[in-house]
Amino acid sequence: MPTTFLNLSLILLVVLLTWLAYKYFELHEIVAPYQKRYKHLLSGIASMVDRIEGYNVRHSAEVAKICERLGIAAGLNLMQLQTLKTAAMLHDVGEILLPADVLNPEKPLDPEELFLIRAHPLLGELHLKKDNDICDEVPAIIRWHHERWDGLGYPDNLKGEEIPKSARILALADAISAMSNNRPYRKHQYSGREEILFELESHAGLQFDPELVRLWGKLIRKDLAEEIAEKLKQDDEEGEA
Amino acid sequence: MIRMQSSWLLESVEELLQVDSVAIPFFHRFSALNWLSHLEIPLFANFPVDSQAMLARAWFDVDKGPFLDKNLHKFNQLLTQPLNKETNPFEPWLDKFFTRQQIDYIYYWRESAYEIEDYSQREIFWSAVYQVMSYWLTNKKYRTEMFFEPDKIMAYYLHYHNEFIRGKQNKVEITSKHLSELEAKECSLVLFPLIFDDDTEEDLLQIIYYAWFHGHADIKLAKKEISLALNRYMIPFNAKSDYSKFLELAEKASSAAFCWTGKELAPRIHEQVIAEPIRNVFKTGFSKSKLYMKSVDKTTDTYDYLLVFKK
Repeated sequence: MPTTFLNLSLILLVVLLTWLAYKYFELHEIVAPYQKRYKHLLSGIASMVDRIEGYNVRHSAEVAKICERLGIAAGLNLMQLQTLKTAAMLHDVGEILLPADVLNPEKPLDPEELFLIRAHPLLGELHLKKDNDICDEVPAIIRWHHERWDGLGYPDNLKGEEIPKSARILALADAISAMSNNRPYRKHQYSGREEILFELESHAGLQFDPELVRLWGKLIRKDLAEEIAEKLKQDDEEGEA
Repeated sequence: MIRMQSSWLLESVEELLQVDSVAIPFFHRFSALNWLSHLEIPLFANFPVDSQAMLARAWFDVDKGPFLDKNLHKFNQLLTQPLNKETNPFEPWLDKFFTRQQIDYIYYWRESAYEIEDYSQREIFWSAVYQVMSYWLTNKKYRTEMFFEPDKIMAYYLHYHNEFIRGKQNKVEITSKHLSELEAKECSLVLFPLIFDDDTEEDLLQIIYYAWFHGHADIKLAKKEISLALNRYMIPFNAKSDYSKFLELAEKASSAAFCWTGKELAPRIHEQVIAEPIRNVFKTGFSKSKLYMKSVDKTTDTYDYLLVFKK
C-alpha cells in the first residue's frame, strides 16, 4: 500500500512538473515578442535623443552597457539591473523638450540657458512618471543622473550616499561614454581608456562615487591585461608560424 | 539624511495653491537650497547653526560676487614648511580625521583668512574649506589616492563657487536665529525638512566643520552645541515628538510641507509614526492634507516622503 501511494505521488509530481514547464514556455512565447518590442522601442527613443544631443554614436546604448557592467560589479540584482538599464537608455529623454540651440550651442551658454539645460533631468522624470505613478524608480534615477558626490550637482544637490546607487552608476557611465566620444564643445579629447580612467580617478570623491570608480578601474585594468595577454599570444603564434 | 526634492515639493504643493514665497525656519544643509534659489520667488531660510548659516551666505548671498583672484593668489598659498604643532588647535584630529599636511592646511586657511579685509570674501574662502574637508574625509573613508595638492583643491572649489553663483540673482534671505527667537513668517509655503536624531557622514562633517569654524577640535562640544541649536526640532524616531511648535511657525503661511527620507522601514510605518501625529496637530490650522511618497532606491529600500497641508 505505501509503495503504491509513493508511486502515485511520484507520477503526479512528474505530471505537475511537466504541466508547469509547458505553462512556463507557453507564457515565455507570449511575453518574448513584447519584451523584444519594448527593447526596440526603447532603443528607438534613445537613438533619437542621441541624435538631438549631437552624438554620432549610440551613446545611450553605450551608457546602458557600461551601467550593466558597473551594476553587476556593484552587486545589483537582476531587477535592479533591468531598472538601471532602462533609465540609462532614457537618461536624457528630457532634452527632447529643450530648444535645439541650447543643446548644440555655438557660444558658451548664458546663465538662463544653463538653467534650462539643468532642468532636463526634471523634465525627463516628470514626463516619464506622468500617468504612471507606480513605476517611479526609473524616473527617479533619471532625475539624479547629474548629481555630484560632493553635493554640487543638480537638480537637488544631493550629496554622497543620499544619491541612490543606481543614479551614481548612471552618472559615472554617462561621463565614461561622453569622454570616450569626441564632443564638439570640449577642448580636450581623451586619447583612450587609460586617460579616461585617470580623469575618473582624479575626480573620485569630487564628482564621482569613489567606490564605483575603484570598481571601474578594476574592470578596465582587467580588460587591458587580457588584451595584452591576447596580443602576446597572437604574436607568439605568428612567430611560431 | 534628508533628500529634499524642491521641484517635487513645488509640483505637489501647486496642486493645492500657487506658491509665491517660501520660508524654511530651519535648514539642514546649505547646498540643498540651490534649486529653490533659482526660482523667481522670495525665499527665506534660517540656519540655527552659525557655521551652516555662514556657508549659506557664502554660496547664496550672491550680490557680494565671486572670490577675487587677488585674494586667491595672496591667501591660497602652497605651504613649503610644516607649521608649528604647539600652536595648532587641530592637532587632536591628526590621523583620526586628517593627515599631517591636511591639519597644517586647515589651521593655515583658518588663520590666513583673518587677513582678508572684506568679510564676505573671508566667508567664501572658509566655505571652500568645508568642501575640501568633505573631500578629504571621503578620501580617508574610501582610501582613494589624492590627485590634488591642498592649494589646488582649494582653488578648484573657489572656482566652482564662481561658477555656482554666475548669473544668479539674490532672492534668498538668510538668517541665523535661535529657534526660540523665530517668529511665524507670512508666506505662501512654510517648509520643514525633518531632522532626525541619527548619525550620518554629513552630520560628522558638519560637526567637524562647526568645531573648526569655532577654532577648536572638541568634537563632543561641537556635537552638543549643534544639538542644542536644533534641540526642540530634532525628531526622535522612537519617541513622541511635540509638533505643536511646528504649527506655531506655520501660523501665517497658506500652506505647509514636511519632507523626510525613510530607509528600511515600510511606508506604512512612516505614515503611522510621523505623518499621522503631524496631521493630528495640523488639522486645527489646516483643512486639507495629502501625503506623497516616492520609491527612490530599491537597493536600500528607501522612500522619500512629502506631507502637504493647505488652509
